[in-house]
Amino acid sequence: MAALLRPARWLLRAGAAPRLPLSLRLLTSGPGWPHAGVCLPAPARPVSGGLLHPARLYAIAAEKKKDIREEPTSFKRAVSPFDWALMRLDNSVRRTGRIPKTLLQKVFDSTCRSGSPGGNQALLLLRSCGSLLPELTLTERTEFAHRIWDKLQKLGTVYDVSHYNALLKVYLQNEHKFSPTDFLAKMEEANIQPNRVTYQRLIAAYCNGGDIEGASKILGFMKTKDLPITETVFSALITGHARAGDMENAQNILTVMKETGIEPGPDTYLSLLHAYAEKGDIDHVKQTLKKVEESELYLMDRDLLQIIFSFSKAGYPQHASEILEKIGYERRYIPDAMNLILLLVTEKLEDTALQILLACPLSKEDGLSDFGSFFLQHCVTMNVPMEKLIHYCKKLKEAQMHSSPLQFTLLCALQANKADLAKVLMKTMKEEGSPVRIHYFWPLLVKHQKKKNIQGIIEVLKGMHELGIDPDQETYVNYVFPSFDSVKSVHTALQENGCLPKDDTLTQAELKSEAVNGNLDYILSVLESNTLSFSLNSFRTSLIQGFKRSMNINLWSKITELLYKDGRYCQEPTGPSEAVGYFLYNLIDSMSDSEVQAKEEHLRQYFHQLKEMNVKIPENIYRGIRNLLDSYHVPELIKDVYVLVEREKIDSRKTVQLKSSDLESTLEKLKAENQPIGDVLKQLILVLCSEENMQKALELKAKYASDMVFGGYAALINLCCRHSNAEEALNLKQELDRLDSSAVLHTRTYVELVKVLGKHGKLQDAINILKEMKEKDVLIKDTTVTAFFHVLNGAAFRGETETVKQLHEAMVTLGLAKPSTNLSSPLITVYLEKGDIPGALEAIIDCHAKYKILPRIHDVLCKLVEKGETELIQKAMDFVSHEQGEMMMLYDLFFAFLQTGNYKEAKKIIETPGIRARPSRLQWFCDKCITSNQVETLEKLVELTEKLFECDRDQLYYSLLKLYKINGDWQRADAVWNKMQEENVIPREKTLRLLAEILRSSNQEVPFDVPELWYEDETSVQNLPSALPVENDLHKDLLNACHWKRNRDAFNIFLKAKEQNVVFNPKTYKNLIKLLLLKDCLSQAEHVKKFAETHIKGFTLNDAANSLLIITQVRRDYLKEALTTLKTALDLKQIPSRLAVTRLIQALGLKGDIESIEAIQVMINGLENTIGLSEMVFINNIALAQIKNNNIDVAIENIENLLTSGSPPVEPQYFGLAYLFKKVLEEQLETAVEKISIMAERLANQFAIYKPVTDLFLQLVDAGKVDDARALLQRCGAIAEQVPIFLVFFVRNSGTEGKTATLRSLLELIPELAEKDIVYTSLMKSYVVNKDVTSAKALYEHLTAKNMKLNDLFLKRYAVLLKDAGEPLPFTEPPESFAYYAEQLKGSKEISS
Amino acid sequence: MAASAARSVAALRTSINRPLAFVRKIPWTAGSNELREHFAQFGRIRRCFVFFDKETGFHRGLGLVQFSTEEELQNALQQENHIIDGVKLQVEAPRSKVLPEYQTSDEEKD
Repeated sequence: MAALLRPARWLLRAGAAPRLPLSLRLLTSGPGWPHAGVCLPAPARPVSGGLLHPARLYAIAAEKKKDIREEPTSFKRAVSPFDWALMRLDNSVRRTGRIPKTLLQKVFDSTCRSGSPGGNQALLLLRSCGSLLPELTLTERTEFAHRIWDKLQKLGTVYDVSHYNALLKVYLQNEHKFSPTDFLAKMEEANIQPNRVTYQRLIAAYCNGGDIEGASKILGFMKTKDLPITETVFSALITGHARAGDMENAQNILTVMKETGIEPGPDTYLSLLHAYAEKGDIDHVKQTLKKVEESELYLMDRDLLQIIFSFSKAGYPQHASEILEKIGYERRYIPDAMNLILLLVTEKLEDTALQILLACPLSKEDGLSDFGSFFLQHCVTMNVPMEKLIHYCKKLKEAQMHSSPLQFTLLCALQANKADLAKVLMKTMKEEGSPVRIHYFWPLLVKHQKKKNIQGIIEVLKGMHELGIDPDQETYVNYVFPSFDSVKSVHTALQENGCLPKDDTLTQAELKSEAVNGNLDYILSVLESNTLSFSLNSFRTSLIQGFKRSMNINLWSKITELLYKDGRYCQEPTGPSEAVGYFLYNLIDSMSDSEVQAKEEHLRQYFHQLKEMNVKIPENIYRGIRNLLDSYHVPELIKDVYVLVEREKIDSRKTVQLKSSDLESTLEKLKAENQPIGDVLKQLILVLCSEENMQKALELKAKYASDMVFGGYAALINLCCRHSNAEEALNLKQELDRLDSSAVLHTRTYVELVKVLGKHGKLQDAINILKEMKEKDVLIKDTTVTAFFHVLNGAAFRGETETVKQLHEAMVTLGLAKPSTNLSSPLITVYLEKGDIPGALEAIIDCHAKYKILPRIHDVLCKLVEKGETELIQKAMDFVSHEQGEMMMLYDLFFAFLQTGNYKEAKKIIETPGIRARPSRLQWFCDKCITSNQVETLEKLVELTEKLFECDRDQLYYSLLKLYKINGDWQRADAVWNKMQEENVIPREKTLRLLAEILRSSNQEVPFDVPELWYEDETSVQNLPSALPVENDLHKDLLNACHWKRNRDAFNIFLKAKEQNVVFNPKTYKNLIKLLLLKDCLSQAEHVKKFAETHIKGFTLNDAANSLLIITQVRRDYLKEALTTLKTALDLKQIPSRLAVTRLIQALGLKGDIESIEAIQVMINGLENTIGLSEMVFINNIALAQIKNNNIDVAIENIENLLTSGSPPVEPQYFGLAYLFKKVLEEQLETAVEKISIMAERLANQFAIYKPVTDLFLQLVDAGKVDDARALLQRCGAIAEQVPIFLVFFVRNSGTEGKTATLRSLLELIPELAEKDIVYTSLMKSYVVNKDVTSAKALYEHLTAKNMKLNDLFLKRYAVLLKDAGEPLPFTEPPESFAYYAEQLKGSKEISS
Repeated sequence: MAASAARSVAALRTSINRPLAFVRKIPWTAGSNELREHFAQFGRIRRCFVFFDKETGFHRGLGLVQFSTEEELQNALQQENHIIDGVKLQVEAPRSKVLPEYQTSDEEKD
């Protein structure tokens, strides 16, 4: 509460801008005050977008961030890689206030690879190149920015004024020296108008260089344009004068400001402080700080830290401690201090950095975790001298800041491959008594191993020796041996350098290494002659690998026998049969199914030899192996393993058989007990109930009371509840209880009963029903809880306090529902409805005491504020603050003030020091404003939260835009765009899209590049039923089976459900039918379809399922049925798939069934475009059918007429007859081929229609009739010019197996095609598909010899082919996926076209 | 048939030879030996390794410990804090892996 009472001038700036070094912070534009010149004296105004600036200005998180947090698994799917990268940047800034340079580089690279980056992505990258990179020197940062600028420009990013302003900001933050006039000229050249922000930043640029004259020029210009001169500008001028050496005038600026009516704020004083610090003038700094304090202004820790930087950088580090004393250690201090420390190390001021580090206040909770790692790491990167570094480590340890600074520094040194440093560190560790472990040396060995640097490896081993550390087997096998020719040479080298191990480590390592290489001969000899004993376990894995490498079965069995019989190798207490059995299991387990299938004979021999050698395995292991073999589909081998089983240990297994006869008799007995009248009675009552005839139904019941069964009662109770007849409902319920006290009604019925009874004042009866629900363990679903809420809420609106309280209490204490905020809100509503606000507040407090929730607190607070109930507000706030923390209380109060229009008070609240953004609460309020269309309230929320720490500005603006969209208010939407720029908010893509949508729908120009939506909204996918009721296990199983495409399981579940009379929803059946059709199980699919049709009224298959049905029917040659299905689908106004229709027509064509094809043509008429069906399908297949019916001449005449008539149905260049040609060639209809050939040539020669002849040519090539094709080409040379047709042919055929020859023949016939990139890319794809390494190599060499530029997709394909073939790559494999490069290629084509 | 086979395999794996614990968040300073030393207090370790990346020489914090009996594994799992070199490890029993039967659609492409 205290915070609330603090004067407004103290409210503030937690989380606002950090200190800029020197005067840079002045350049940042002020927040969006429209008349800044007049209304400036707000002392609490921080600089927006300052140096280490945090997240709120930086809102670029990926769009689905919330989803990500909640469902880490769906993360990759839901978020594009680019958004993911952005999110990482954003998170980095949020958490630490900085960006690691590697991260920025990664995001930049992936942005470049993504094709053409959008404007806001560019903005984000550019903005990241300033003070957010404390690990880079100032010049490196600017270079980075320039690299990004140029590269993105090349990639086609369109820059607008916001980009130029961002670049300017980066220049300022990096103290980059540049000419402002040149910059303006550059903007002019690009036809970009500078705005106020641009001018402010240019003034700052002049001032940074001490060029007052330059600054004045721009200042004058701003005045002529009537642009407001803000505090920002004045602060810049202070820096300007100071840097020009004129401290007096710098100080005078303060007076000038006051004269123009602007009170100097903290920014102004900071400029002055930096100016003094740069001069080393500690006295003036102190005086100024005092003055700041006297003016009741407030400087943040971050500001003070930057003053330390100014001192140190200017060569006065001795003053650091005096400033450190003044630091208040605010909440956000640590990240700010970390950034300064990094910056100091970068600037080679590491001693000052250590000083600040050691002064960091660490709470006791942090005591466990280490602090200072970032410092050590950066010192390693920046090559701080070793002695200094070790000294730092000791200091950190002494200060108990870091528990293992040496180890951490060692890690950094190893990662950075600084071997000398690593060695010194390990030596120090040893001296200190910390362990130095073998694997610490592995990274060093790896580095040498990669370069095959034997000397380097020996050096490392020597180093180990010096430290008294003996390498283990793993070190030798993995990191030493690979670089040497043989183990022997290792031996020699080690001996020469005096570091040969004394024990047998080297021998064992050798054994392992030889085993892995498949050198089984050697293994056998070592195992036989060896004098040592070691367990099979120790090298089982290596041995298995060796077995798989060498298929020498004799060696396999000999080694196995030795392991079985020689006690040295089997020290397990379980005995050799267990060990060897386990070995066999592992051996087979390690092989893939195809491997086992291929080596079936080998394995059989092996098992038989083992049998001969009397090797036995336990039965349980045999069963494991049997299952493995079964799953590999080699059951034939099972009997061969079975011979190895230890007979004596086989235990007789009991078999349990179900007696089907028992089940049958039970069933009959039940049937016999069935009362004939009961059934009919029940049905009649059900009908009456559905007719809502309560009276008749009740009469009937009274008449035949003794014959009533459960179902009838249930229906009647429901009926009475619906008719609000509490009396009867209760009677019926009691009768039912007498009939069968264990009967369980449907959940819904119980809730209805509770509702009706409660409504009629039968509170105790209602509670009894609830109790029964509990006793009978009725299933409670989400909908049930919602129903409970409505029961309570209804009572609340009727003002029935007792009913609400007691029912709620019963529900909760019985455990039927959790006391959620929603369920409990009627407890408060009942008071609010009566206007009893104190009562409502009491109820909330009571709720919290009982359930730790605060339902409707917002509404109650609003009412209190409206009525001005100060005391009660105080009470409520004390309560919330006490129970949920001050932050929650502040938000509650903030929202209440906003809601009631008390903006001034709201502002005070949200400016409380230490308050930070709570995204979920802000979003809640935004959504509330949107649903109730409170424009002003939402605008105020957005305005007041500008300085809120960690506030996601973009999200708030997005909400605002959503509301504007609802109201069609484009003017305000447009104003939002300007405000966001001024605030330096980087809009997410979705925000830009929304904005563009609003502007477009009002016919306004969109002033920016609208990012395209290129990924689908995932909501539809995520709609999978996640909370299925338990009762529907079958349903769940079925969906699962469908999901995993297990058609057999799915069908069995369906049958089981059918048996139990369970009927699912139509969608489920449709899914199942689709799956079955996909699996070609036509009869099963029809079975399901029939069942669904008889059990679900109006069940019909949807478009997709019908299409699949057609395809399957065609495949089975049920053409009549397929035609009927098509007709049914079309009658239902469905759109069948192109594939389905095409398949059907083709099948009919081959059958010569012209009539049916024509019938389809009539049916489809008008839908061709929707289906995507080309007229050519009909033309081709009718012609084919005619040819099949021996009407060749008619077919040819028709085609010729179509093509030569004035208006052909399809443009000649798209008149593809390839299908017809292909079929005619395939079916070897010689006469037809001849006549068609003549027709095609005639069309070419007389009518200049080349498509048919080219298609024919291609089909000849494809059919392997190269000579015929060549002859055709000679007769008709124009074919060679039909390049586009060939390109399409290449692309289409490249993905099909076995088409390489065709493509190659085509290239031989028309060699000029080879130069086209599409052609060689396709050719490579074809080679890859056909795994033709030799041809691929030849192609690659041919192209590289010609210096052709090869695209990444081509290289990626080639690389994977080589890798799969185990060949070395002559280049580095492109890192991303195929899809990635394909997309990239597509992108680049779209740009170039 | 397939389902029952899978079940038996799973049973075989868990019943006789795989009382396994997955260990995550192993500090870089610890290797297989340190892991073994730590877990030896819970029983006899049959196998124990930390997966090193042979491209870098570092491990990624992931390891595996196989005990001799299920009971020993349970002992280890029940211990709340496992700390090596001042770093808290994450120890869990492997979840049974049911590999979904991915079948490719046999629908031809046009």
